[in-house]
This record gives sequence, structure tokens and C-alpha cells, in this order.
Amino acid sequence: MSINMPQTDTVQRLLRREFLHQTGLGLGSIALSSLMADDGLLAGDAAATPAVLNPLAPRLPHFAGQARSVIQLFMAGGPSQLDLFDYKPALQKLDGQPIPDSYVKGKRFAFVTGVPKCLGTVRKFSRHGECGAEISELLPHIAGIADKITIVRTMHTENFNHGPAKLLAQTGSALFGRPTIGSWVLYGLGSESHNLPGFVVLTSGPRGPRGGSYLWSNGFLSSVYQGVPLRSKGDPILNLANPHSVQSDQQRRVLDAVRDLNTVRLETTGDQEIAARIASYEMAYRMQSSAPELTDLSQESQQTLDSYGAKPGEASFANNCLLARRLVERGVRFITLFHTDWDHHGNKGTDLQEGIERTCREVDQSCAALISDLQDRGLLDETLVVWGGEFGRTPVGEQRDVIGRDHHIDAYSVWLAGGGIQGGQTLGETDELGFYAQDRKQSFAIHDLQATILHCLGLDHRKLTYRFQGRDFRLTDVAGEVIQKALS
Amino acid sequence: MRFIALALLVLATAGAKLLASEAARPVDFARDVRPILESHCFDCHSGTEAESDLRLDLARSALDGGNSGPAVVPGKADESLLFLRVNTSVQDERMPPIDGGDPLSAEELAVIRHWIDQGAKVPQDETAAQARRTSDHWAFQPVVRPSADHLLGEWSSTRTARTPLTNPIDAFIAAKCYENNIAPSAEADRVTLIRRLSFDLRGLPPSVEEVDAFVADDRADVYEQLVERLLESPQYGERWARHWLDQARYADSEGYTNDVPRSIWPWRDWVIAALNRDQPFDEFIIDQIAGDLRPNPTVDQTVATGFHRNTQHNREGGSDPEQYRVERLADRVSTTADVLLGLTMGCARCHDHKFDPISQREFYQLYAFFDNSDEPEYRILTPEQRQQREELQQQIAALEKERHELEQRLREQLPKRTVLEPTTATSPGGATLQTQADHSLFVSDEQKKQLEATLLESDAGYVALRKQLDELRGREKQLVEGAPSTLVVQELAEPRTTYIHLRGDFLSRGRQVQPGTPAVLPPLTIAGERPTRMDLARWLVSPKNPLTPRVTVNRLWQAYFGRGLVETDNDFGTQGIQPTHRDLLDWLAAEFVAGGWSLKHMHRLILTSATYRQSSSARPELNEIDPRNLLLARQSRHRLEAEVVRDAALAASGLLSLKIGGASVYPPQPEGVLDSDRTWNVSTGEDRYRRGMYTYFWRTAPYPFLKAFDAPDSNTACTRRDRTNTPLQALMLLNDEVFVEAAQGLAARVLADQSLADDNARLERAFRLCISREPGESEIRRLGELLTAERAALPDDAAMPVTPAVERFPSGASRKERVAWTSVARALLNVDEFITRE
Repeated sequence: MSINMPQTDTVQRLLRREFLHQTGLGLGSIALSSLMADDGLLAGDAAATPAVLNPLAPRLPHFAGQARSVIQLFMAGGPSQLDLFDYKPALQKLDGQPIPDSYVKGKRFAFVTGVPKCLGTVRKFSRHGECGAEISELLPHIAGIADKITIVRTMHTENFNHGPAKLLAQTGSALFGRPTIGSWVLYGLGSESHNLPGFVVLTSGPRGPRGGSYLWSNGFLSSVYQGVPLRSKGDPILNLANPHSVQSDQQRRVLDAVRDLNTVRLETTGDQEIAARIASYEMAYRMQSSAPELTDLSQESQQTLDSYGAKPGEASFANNCLLARRLVERGVRFITLFHTDWDHHGNKGTDLQEGIERTCREVDQSCAALISDLQDRGLLDETLVVWGGEFGRTPVGEQRDVIGRDHHIDAYSVWLAGGGIQGGQTLGETDELGFYAQDRKQSFAIHDLQATILHCLGLDHRKLTYRFQGRDFRLTDVAGEVIQKALS
Repeated sequence: MRFIALALLVLATAGAKLLASEAARPVDFARDVRPILESHCFDCHSGTEAESDLRLDLARSALDGGNSGPAVVPGKADESLLFLRVNTSVQDERMPPIDGGDPLSAEELAVIRHWIDQGAKVPQDETAAQARRTSDHWAFQPVVRPSADHLLGEWSSTRTARTPLTNPIDAFIAAKCYENNIAPSAEADRVTLIRRLSFDLRGLPPSVEEVDAFVADDRADVYEQLVERLLESPQYGERWARHWLDQARYADSEGYTNDVPRSIWPWRDWVIAALNRDQPFDEFIIDQIAGDLRPNPTVDQTVATGFHRNTQHNREGGSDPEQYRVERLADRVSTTADVLLGLTMGCARCHDHKFDPISQREFYQLYAFFDNSDEPEYRILTPEQRQQREELQQQIAALEKERHELEQRLREQLPKRTVLEPTTATSPGGATLQTQADHSLFVSDEQKKQLEATLLESDAGYVALRKQLDELRGREKQLVEGAPSTLVVQELAEPRTTYIHLRGDFLSRGRQVQPGTPAVLPPLTIAGERPTRMDLARWLVSPKNPLTPRVTVNRLWQAYFGRGLVETDNDFGTQGIQPTHRDLLDWLAAEFVAGGWSLKHMHRLILTSATYRQSSSARPELNEIDPRNLLLARQSRHRLEAEVVRDAALAASGLLSLKIGGASVYPPQPEGVLDSDRTWNVSTGEDRYRRGMYTYFWRTAPYPFLKAFDAPDSNTACTRRDRTNTPLQALMLLNDEVFVEAAQGLAARVLADQSLADDNARLERAFRLCISREPGESEIRRLGELLTAERAALPDDAAMPVTPAVERFPSGASRKERVAWTSVARALLNVDEFITRE
């Protein structure tokens, strides 16, 4: 259903003026350049195109990047790389034995105390695809796309508590107040979607991703860059639906009156903020129809639904993966999916037996389906997909209800696929117990991964800066090297 | 080739000779050592801004060392950091670093070794006094009150006649405008003035009656009287407390992953009360930084220390408590500096500040002031409750004495009763007691206790006494736990030892530091033997402190004009933006201190200025000369803050509760915002309609309405809010339950008002309840069109959401009328002007 907007003389005049404004010809051109200076765009980056009144307007990258969008599959809690991607025969042999002191001298763990004992995996690993990537039986579908992904087995991070580690993974700092990667990307590139937010967050799993809004915060960037959670129950976006029993024609009548009253006020005060307000209301109205259309999975073929394991109306990671593809199709820049419950310490329900099996079942098929589906639709080349948690899990066991693994920060696995990434390879080797990277130079930090993600989008992580409190801040702080070998 | 080898051999021999002779001859620092250090080390390690605070141009400071501790152990080169670092073969460790110059030669190493081994003598003429850090940066210079006399002239806008200037603020502003060939704007109309003042001082729109009275009043000082009245209103404290809460990172939960609830609202209420009584700002700060160190601190002074308990608290399983205690302390240092000094002190946590003259050591010296505090919970009892508690405690003490005496008596009877000669015995607790050679029973301490307990419990008098005591203790507990609790800071009896954390890592201890303040600022005065938090508090608000008064008046200015005179309000350092009107800033800072740090005095001065009273309308000619309005030739027009948007809607609808303080409340919010294990039981009665500042704030799941309108996330100090304009805000105002209910309330209010004769009168009243001014002809017509269209389109049985506000509709109003008027009200609550302070 579409409703025609009456184009009154005032609106015509307004549109004309906005055109002048946008082309920098009108009276507002000076105000415009000062607005841009506010955003740090003129100072920070000459390649950036004008933001005009809309700070979300698309901007050119620093150089031609392969990817236009990012789907981040955040496996909250810390998946056990040793049961999924990093097979260690020596660890099997030493199972139950104390780990040599040289590994753990002076080492702090979140929970493990006493003399830590090695814990081998009970999972069978085999080689997959032409590349022969070693992947465990827990992830049969992901194994099926081995040739499309690059596994990095030697990631490391700095903090072994979930909260700060997630913060670091998302913002490049374990301190509060910094923007998350989605906000940085939106700030750098703007959004190509005119009726959906540019940075969307989807969550699934038994509970929210603990840490909540920190993980999609705009930090010190303008809050127009904050992530917008898309909800699986109720309105997809908060307050998206008209108030109960308000019909859409009634809503439109109210909106028309609002627009006309705002236009009168714009004439009186000459404040361009009012023009921006009018535009915001129109976008909100468009969102009211585009967001429900977006989340209506019944439009998808049964074949597609089955491939993801998605069921319309259900709150699941599978549905979220399918939604992520639909968001990419609609020009949304950055999509973060959080799936919780990878924290397999060995408590009842969160263990390395049924616990990890269940979590793997929840994500495996839909992750693989997402990659294949993007490829079938010709979107994989321009969509970067990143899979991983805030850290991995220890090669030593942790005794709880049953034996499990503690948080491990020195070596863990992630994988990337799609825009800008050379699929079909495994990077980095851990030592024989999977504790550290074999070669320090092949150990990758969070900032390296972030630099790589930005690189795939055509952004130079050293140039994507924002001046705050007298300093040019970066997502990658003062570090970060693009993981060149991962690139296509 | 052979020649070169020979030359090397000669050199090596010479070196060996030198080594031999150095060992014998006394090494002199100035003659022998200093030149070596000069050529290799001085680039980084000399002068007052030496890296890692290690200064090698003076022997004494080399001995003293830098962040990592003493660099020289006299007589022991092999234990001296200085020697070890230049002598090591580990590349990452070696000084100078790889890209920082050549390594020292064997001869040079030998000289340094000998100087140390010979006792590292300091040259006699070297004075101990190190040159103080200095800076010629404007903000570190003392505040000198500039005279405005030479500027006083006339205020002339294009539209009004010249008026003589009486307020120095206007003199500074006008002078700069004229310099740039622009004229200030005329005074805004009266409706705009009262609306602006009301939002700025109360965070609420004026009532229609207030507007009418103000417009009709023809007394000369009517404006000044209005300012006074609003400054005296209790809502002033709430409005300005919210600004302070932003900076204090106030929230109702602990943050981090677990984010459990906390009770610290009594501190919030203390802020409101302190501002309402215009507690002088210096005292206001002293109470918050060190209220617990006042002599016999009052309840208020204790509660005030909650300022620094608003830090987040990580209780995640497996987290090291010390690590997150350190995080909280570092936050306290950064926040204190952000809020009061306008310095980005946090930058110096891991390394010396890159731009400002602040060293890492100085960061930890400030940190040391906070390191000695404990973080208890504090129960706030009313005077009556305190008296009750004392009485209970006295009764308990008396009964305890009685019980003790009885116990003694009963114990004395104990041997007399054990006349049996058993072979074995089993105690009431089930322990087997061993019979000893003398026929006594061997009883362990544990067993003895059990025996005694049994004995005592068999005495009726004793049991009665114990029950009475239990009851009294229960009552005391109930009394205390029923009282509101808040989080406070308390000094530890034994001070902790504070160390520099090398690279900001709490596990890497550097040298020990004493509490102290940055050397570039005026010196700290200490009252006792050791610097305390109280000394720090007094130093922060000392009249000599060049930063605190400037930073504070700048924030007042920012609240009134949308931008501070220093735009980077939290960075007065060398990277900050220069003030647009430095003379005015200094004048205000000097006036603030001279006026006894009275905030109300400053409000009065700014609010009565012609500068503040200007119209905010855009002036096309200014777009070219001063597009960002830095010269302030007009007022600024800006969107209201999140809480004020809510309050304005509730005020217009007549639903707003003006109850001040108390535990935070739960207005309606959409389902699914919180994790499933959190509850949000929507408040009932007037708590449903409390001001936005009382809305419960979960750090990890903030109230969506507040977040959408740029309320801070409360994780770090927020000294300046963002003002965005987004579609999500439109969705909130259009569809959120709170706003739908406000619209119903507003519709009901005009429908129920018997004094309104017809639709036009009702439309006009509704407009004025929202926007204060009279509607223009086109505006009233457009609203009338909406009303007509609604009546035409809606069915007779039109429905609308059921909220408590529905009950306010007059019973005679038909369903269709109710809905039609609610649509009109929704339109009004959504227009830009409604959420704008002009």
C-alpha cells in the first residue's frame, strides 16, 4: 500500500531549497561546511563525500574495497577451538596429564586453579574440501563450505573475562566509551539503505549477549551511528508499529499535519534542523512498512527456509542468518548477530558434551546456508562474513559438574568468508598443545582482525579517525596490521 | 683488509687499556658519565618532561629513577636498571631502542659500570631542586579578572534602539560582534523568553497561566523576578542535578556483564537538595570527593561521597577483584580530571601524556589519593530511626550484660554437676568423650561448647533472655534494612601503598608513588603529615586552581548557549580548542570564585544578560560571517534533552508528577528490552508519571526512550550530550506508549475544560499547552483540518489504546471525539517546536 504525499507549495519550496542546500549553492553552504567539520569529515578524511544534512549519507571508501556490507557472526561466550577447528594429537596423548610448567608458569586463568591438566577432544576431526581444512564432526555444514572460508587459528586477545573481552572485540578497547566496529564502519561509509538503519543487531540464544548495549554502542561518535537491535518478538524495531488500534490512514493524517506544521516553522525560523526533522519523520514512516516487510520470512521459498533451518515467527539464529541476508540485499552496511551460550565450562547444560553439540546444531547449518545463499545470489563477493567469539577455550580442563574448558586468550580460531577474503585456507598454527601460536609473528590480535575487516571495506584503519578529547582515535588504537594472507 | 683488521686490533687494545685505567681512577659524573648519557639518552630522558619520568641529566634524578624504580643502586652496577638496560643483549629490552640510536660502546659501558660500582657519587654542585614543570598554555595560567569597563557601551541590534550595557557579559560579547561588523540580535519575545527560561532552569515548559502572567506584567524588572522565581523552584535542583548526574555517570545498576541492581539514588537526591540550597560549588565538590574526611561527617556529607561510587563494578565469575578495583580507581581519576579540570588525564594511565604536560607518574599520584578508600554500603536512618536504633542498642547491651552474668553463674555450677564416673560418655552433640585416668572426661573445645550450650539451654531464665535478645536484634536488623541504602566512600585506617602500573598493567608494578597533584598546576597544600583526599578536594576547588572555575563556568555557558566558550569542554589541554572569548571566560571564572562559588549567582548573571535574551532566529547574513554562531550574535535553538522531552509531554497532558526524589521508577517500556531474567514491573499511581530523571537506568539495557534521545550510557563521565535527529526518535514520539498516553491526557484535558467554548478554543489551548505561544492562523487552520478529517474518517466506535489516562476523558465525550482529539494531540506532541528550546 502506498499513500501519496500531497506536495503543497511550501513543500515544493522546501524541496527546492534543500536541493540548493545539498548542492552547496544555497545560503546554507557555509553552514554545511561547518556541519561537516563537526563530523570530523573535512579534517579527518579528504576522500569522504559531503554528509549534507544526513550524516548517514553514503561516503566513498579510502580505496576500492571488495565488500560493501559486513555480517558479523559473534559467538558469544567463546567457542572451543580445540573441539571445532584446531586438532592437536599431542593434547590427546597428554589427556589427563599435568600440562608442562613451561606453558602455564605465571599464567592467570579466569577459573582454573591448582595444577592444570591437559584435556583432549572427544570429537573426530577430518579434512574437508579441496583445501583439506581440518574441521570437527560438530560442524558438518561448515565443513561443507571449507573451500569458501579462511580459518585463522592463531587469534589472541587480552582479557579473559567475557565483558571486557567482548568490549575489546567490538571496540578495540577493553575500556568503556569507545565506538563499536559497526559504528565506525557506518561513520566511515554511511548507509546505502534509505528506510532501514545502517547498523543492525540481531540476538539469539537462551539469553541476551550479556553486556547488552555496550556491544553496539556508538561510544564517542554521534549516536546516529549506534547499532539498532532488530527484535525477534514484537515489533522488529522498538515502537515501529502504530499504536494499538491506530489505522495506517489515521497515522498518515497525523504525520501530514506534523509535516505541514513543521514546514510552517521552518519558514519562520530558517533552522535547517527542522528540515532534517521532516526528513526523519518521512524515513520513520518508510521504516514502518519496510521493516515488517524485511522480517516477513514467509516471503522466502520453502527451499530457502529449509536450507537455513529457519521457521517464520521463531526466534532463532537460523532466522537471524536469513534476516542478515535480507538486510544485505537492502543495503544495510553492518549486521551483527550475537548467539550466546558458547561458555562451555562444564556446568550442567553448558558442557563439552551435549552443551556444545546443541550450540553447534543451532548455528552450523544456518552459517553454511548463509554463505551458500549469498553466493547463489551473487552477494558473497561484496559481503564480508566474520565468525568468532571474544576468546577461545583452554587446552586444559576445568572441573565443574563435569569437565569443561576455561576461557583461553592466547590462541583461538575465527573464520572469514566473502568480500575480499581468499577462501579455502587455514592460517596460523598453534603449538602442539594448542596453547600459543607456534610463531609469534603469525599470532593475530583483535586489532589485526579489525584492520582486516576495514580493509575489505576499502577503509584504511589508520585513516579512519575521529578526534575526541584532543586525540585522533582509531578502532585499532595504535596497532593493527591487515592479515594480508587472508585477502583474495 | 689486513689494514682494517690491524686498526681494529689497535682500537681494541686501546679500549682494554682504558678499561684498566678507569677502574683505578675515580669516575666523575659530570666529566665522564654525563657526556655519554647526553649522546645516547638525553633525547628522551632529560629535562622536566623526561619519558617514564626518568631524567638522566642530573645524577640525583638518575639515582632516584623513573616509573620503573631507582635506576641506580650505588656500588652495584649489575643490579642497576640503568646499566642493565644499556648492557643487555635482548633487543626488545635494550636502551636506546633499536630506532632510537646506537648502542653504547664497550668503553662507554665500562665508564657507567665504574661510576656505579664506585658508589655513584653525585657531583657536589648539583642541586637537589629539580626545575618545576612549566607550561605557557593559556589554561594553566592563573585566572586574572579582566576589566570590562573599557568595553561597556551599547547593545544595538538591527531592530531595536541602542540600550546601554550594564552586564559585563554583554560588553565582551558585543565588543567581539562589532569587531566583526555584526550586530547582536534583538531580544526574543516574551513567550520565547519564559519558555526558554523554564526549560533551562526547570526542564519543564511554562504553564499557560505563567506565560499569560509574564506577558501581561509591565513591571520593569519582571524578567529578573521570573529568573529569581525559577531559581527558587524545587525543579531547578532536579534540572541541574541531571547535568551533574551525566558527569558523575549515575545509573541504577552495576554495569559490566552481570549488571546487577544497586541502590545509590540517595546520592542523586542529595545532589538535587544541594543545588536547591545553592551549596557553594567548592563545598559541593569537597563533600563529594572527601565528605567522609570531614570532622564528624554528617549523613549528607557521607552520602555525598557516592559521587565516586557511580563507577561500574564487575562481578563476573572468574574476574580478579583487584583488577576491577583498579579499573574503578582509574575511572575516578579520569572522571575527576574530565569533570573538574577539563584534562584528559586518562591518557596518562599507560604512558606519559602525549600532548599535555602530565606524566604517568602524576596519574598514579592522583590515583594514590583514591587508593586508600573502602567502598561500603551505607544505611540512611532518619533522626527518629537513629534514636530508635540507639535505644535498641542500649537495651541489647543491658540484656547482654545480664545474660553474661547469668552465663557465668551457670558455668560455675558446671563442675558440681559432673559427679558421675562413666567409662565412656556421649555428648548431646553425639561426640564420644574419653574417660581420663582421673575419671574426668576429656572434652575438646568444641565438645565443651556443646556441653555448655546444652546446659545453658536447659535454664529457663537463660532461654527467656536469649529469646528477648534475638527479638531485639531482629528489630534492629529490620530497622536498618528497612532504611534506604546508598554507596559511599570511606577512608581506610591503614593506607595502601600505591605503585605506578607500568604500561597501565596492574600486575606490572613500577615505583612507589605518594599522593600528589600535577606539577604544572599550583602546588598542593597539605593539612597533615601525609596528603589526603581532603587535601586533594581542597586543591581542586582552591581559588588558585586555574582550571576548575574555568571549566565549571564554561559548562554553565554550554548549557545556556549549546556550546561552551571553550568548545572542547572536557579538554582544556593543548589539544583543546581555544576559547572564543577568553576574556569573558576568565571574567566569569573570577566572578564565580569572588561570588563565593555560588552557582545561582552565575545563573543569574548569565540569564539576565542581553546575550542570553537574544532571539535565536536564523539570520541569513550571519550564515556567511559566522555560520556556527561562535560570536553569539543570536541565541541558539536546540532540541530538548531526552528527559525534558518526556517531562514536557507529561506536563502538557497534565499527567506529570512533581514528586521529588526517592527510589527510581519504572514507566511503561516495550516488552523484550530486558533479558528474560530481569523484571520491569511498571510503576503505578503517580510513579508512572514521574520526571524522566527518575526512570530506572539499567546500564546494559537503558530505557529505550532515553537512549533514542541521546541520554548518556552512564559508563563514563559525559560532560556534553549529543543532539541527534533520527527516525527512531520519530517512532518513539509517534508510537511509544508513554506518548500515546500523554496524547490521550492532553486530549482529555482540553475536552474536559469547561472554559473552552468551541473547537477553536480547544485547539488553541492544546497548542499553547504544548508550545506556549499563540498559534498562527495557518497553524490553527491546519490543526482544524486534521480534526475535521479525523471526524470524517473515524467510525463511531473508534478504538484507542487503553491506558490509565483514558479515565480522564469527560464521560460525555464520544469515542470518536476522544480518538479525533487524541490524533490532534499526537500531532502537537510530534512537531519539532514542541521538543525544541528556542
